[in-house]
Amino acid sequence: MTENRLQRFARLAAVLVLGSAAFTARAQLPAPATTPTTPTEPAQIEPARTQPEQVAPMPIQPAPVSAAAEGIYAEARPSLLQIRTLVEAAGRQSSIGSGFLVSKDGLAVTNYHVVSQYALEPKTYRLEFARPDGTQGALKLLAIDVANDLAIVQLDGKDLPFLKFDAAALADTSPRGERLYAMGNPLDLGFTIVEGTYNGFVEKSYNPRIHFTGAINPGMSGGPAVTAAGKVAGMNVAKRLDGELVSFLVPAGKAAALLERARKDAPLDLAKAREEIDRQLLAWQADFYHALGEQGFRGTALGPYQAPESAAPWFTCWARTNADQTPKPRAQMDSTSCSSQSSLFIAEDIETGRTELSHAYVRSIDLNSFQFAAFLSQYYGSAGMVRTWSRKRLTQPQCHEDFVERGENGTAPVLRTVWCARAYRDFAGIYDVAITTVTQDRDKEALISRLSMQGVSYDNALALAQRFVGEVAWTK
Amino acid sequence: MDQVVAVASADSIVWIEILSRMHDVLARHRFQRGPITIGRAYDNDIVVDDTHVAAHHLRIVPEEDGTLVAEDLGSHNGLFLDRDPERRTRVVLDGERALRIGNTLIRVRTAAHEVPAEQPMLRSPHYWPLAIACMIGVFGLAMLDLWLSETGEVKAIRYFTPLLILFLVVCVWIAGWSVLTRVFTGHARFGLHFLIVAAGMLAYSVYDQAAEIGAFAFSWTALATSSYIVAWLLFGAMCFAHLLAVGRTRRPLKFAIVAVLAAAGIAMQTLKQSEYRSNYGQPVVLRRLEPPALRLVTPQQEAAFFTDNAALRVELDKARTEEPVGGDGLDLGDD
Repeated sequence: MTENRLQRFARLAAVLVLGSAAFTARAQLPAPATTPTTPTEPAQIEPARTQPEQVAPMPIQPAPVSAAAEGIYAEARPSLLQIRTLVEAAGRQSSIGSGFLVSKDGLAVTNYHVVSQYALEPKTYRLEFARPDGTQGALKLLAIDVANDLAIVQLDGKDLPFLKFDAAALADTSPRGERLYAMGNPLDLGFTIVEGTYNGFVEKSYNPRIHFTGAINPGMSGGPAVTAAGKVAGMNVAKRLDGELVSFLVPAGKAAALLERARKDAPLDLAKAREEIDRQLLAWQADFYHALGEQGFRGTALGPYQAPESAAPWFTCWARTNADQTPKPRAQMDSTSCSSQSSLFIAEDIETGRTELSHAYVRSIDLNSFQFAAFLSQYYGSAGMVRTWSRKRLTQPQCHEDFVERGENGTAPVLRTVWCARAYRDFAGIYDVAITTVTQDRDKEALISRLSMQGVSYDNALALAQRFVGEVAWTK
Repeated sequence: MDQVVAVASADSIVWIEILSRMHDVLARHRFQRGPITIGRAYDNDIVVDDTHVAAHHLRIVPEEDGTLVAEDLGSHNGLFLDRDPERRTRVVLDGERALRIGNTLIRVRTAAHEVPAEQPMLRSPHYWPLAIACMIGVFGLAMLDLWLSETGEVKAIRYFTPLLILFLVVCVWIAGWSVLTRVFTGHARFGLHFLIVAAGMLAYSVYDQAAEIGAFAFSWTALATSSYIVAWLLFGAMCFAHLLAVGRTRRPLKFAIVAVLAAAGIAMQTLKQSEYRSNYGQPVVLRRLEPPALRLVTPQQEAAFFTDNAALRVELDKARTEEPVGGDGLDLGDD
């Protein structure tokens, strides 16, 4: 189904790396919006110049920093880092984020998306850190965790100050409402501390994320969010653009686990970073589709048809109808669309990991059967392959379409089915796949169903799609 | 009158004809046999208003043996035989080949010149009724197609505009060919050109609809996505028919021109489609569904369908490394 018609999910979460082109947009938690909001904000290539213009017209909302925050900031300050990705040839920053030291020998935690440019193109970019005291230097990338958007970097030094992880956070027992203090360098303005509240885990997110109510901004990505005791509870990662102070943290446990791995394993071979990301994507999708398969489908009645919807908890579903449109539609279309909250950021132009199930029950009001078929064609023709396509990242789609019969003759409607798949150029064995079916049993009534899978292995896509197609049935 | 007028025998009358470039007679002058002078000056027998012709350019004189000879009177631009580039001072006239002085073509014939037998009066066939019937078919199909793909509010303008444009294009097209035919043959042959274009368009309309429906009925997408090839072939055939209506000479050359045109059209559109796909990553799938009753093919079994899907993986994996990324200049990386 064409995205602009059936989906009103605005892509509304942004990862908090401040890039030279635009803030990286990311649909971490899509939500309905009456007016679509574009997640990109104006480019800020020279913050020094844009700074006064920016500050003047905007109402300044100073974070409600309590007296406690003063002490916490003073204590954490020496452990904070600004992490810069520089264009090797120009020697200027291309994007910035934050990070913090976690060991006295210079190991530091940040977000994967802060170092993603360097990880994917190590010959074009290099990494640098800047500490609040003004010292700067080169950073080494030791480990990445794409699924949890984390990276471990290292700077040279001995007896460095560092932050410790919060025990309650590691055990996922932090109390809701606990004060947390997020730190980082927003918009390249300087290190800041922001007071906010811990609000538990985001319920529908497949990749665990803490819901933090506080103002975190681009440039703070990878910075720590600490408890009143100064212990790290999570890492700043993203915020919603359609809400106020709705921000997200990666749970501390994920960073502790990656740190453990970085200490044990050999450092990431940059020449093989893509292979490593590929490996992680394959592992991630194996788990995800296994979990999805275990949860199974449940049938939802749509007119005379039964449409499969995922029973998994990490889907956000929205319904819409065209019944209230003016001029009066000539075919009524009631649709539901469920989208998994499992988006993964790989690069500015590679976002993957989402699965979407949509159904539309369409019946003619006063269209004849040819016109009705033409109406259905609008949704069939895109074959689910219209989402942002970058020639650099994805192959052209390959499609196969036919009429498909299931089961014994006449026990299920014949489906006009189109399967389209495209491969990721950077990652072997990872594909985007969409399957669309249109029931062919009536001439003025139909169910259009679509399953789209991003970043899936071919076998998993085949298995889930076959299950999905098998579940499109008549209600009896 | 002290001069005796010779008896007008067949041989003693000479016709001098001024021809157009296409060898149509523009003017015809009758003379008694004897030297006839042609030039720009007013003391000539024939005065030619051609700035490239000398004041006294040419003289037509009878020889002893009865033949007529044209002689250059010493002009600067000279005397030529029709399109022949060789300059001549003296030409023995045969009544067929034209003389060229400056930009003027002159043909000289005696009264004895033999003319071909009369051509039988052919009743020109009535092309109009058939052409109009075809055109009604074309417009009817276009209307039907528009109506059957109408899924929103019915608006007359949606039908009116394409039909008007179609009508105007057809008119201009026919007019163009008719003018061309008129220039070369003297007859516009409007009816024939009208029939050719109407028949060609009807053939395409019928094929296009059949291909769209067939693509669905037989689940054969290529039938619909390749209909432009048939469109170009029909266009080529139409042009060839028009060219034959203009004149039946040089058929191999005309055929070659039309074939090249059609091939170029097909190549251009194929290239454009593949460019479009590689730039926007558009899938190649059926564009138009039809009512389920039009399905003629037996549905594939689900398992077989997924076996075919699985087979696409090989192509994708090949494309991953082999398909050109294209020079968008964004790929700064060095893999």
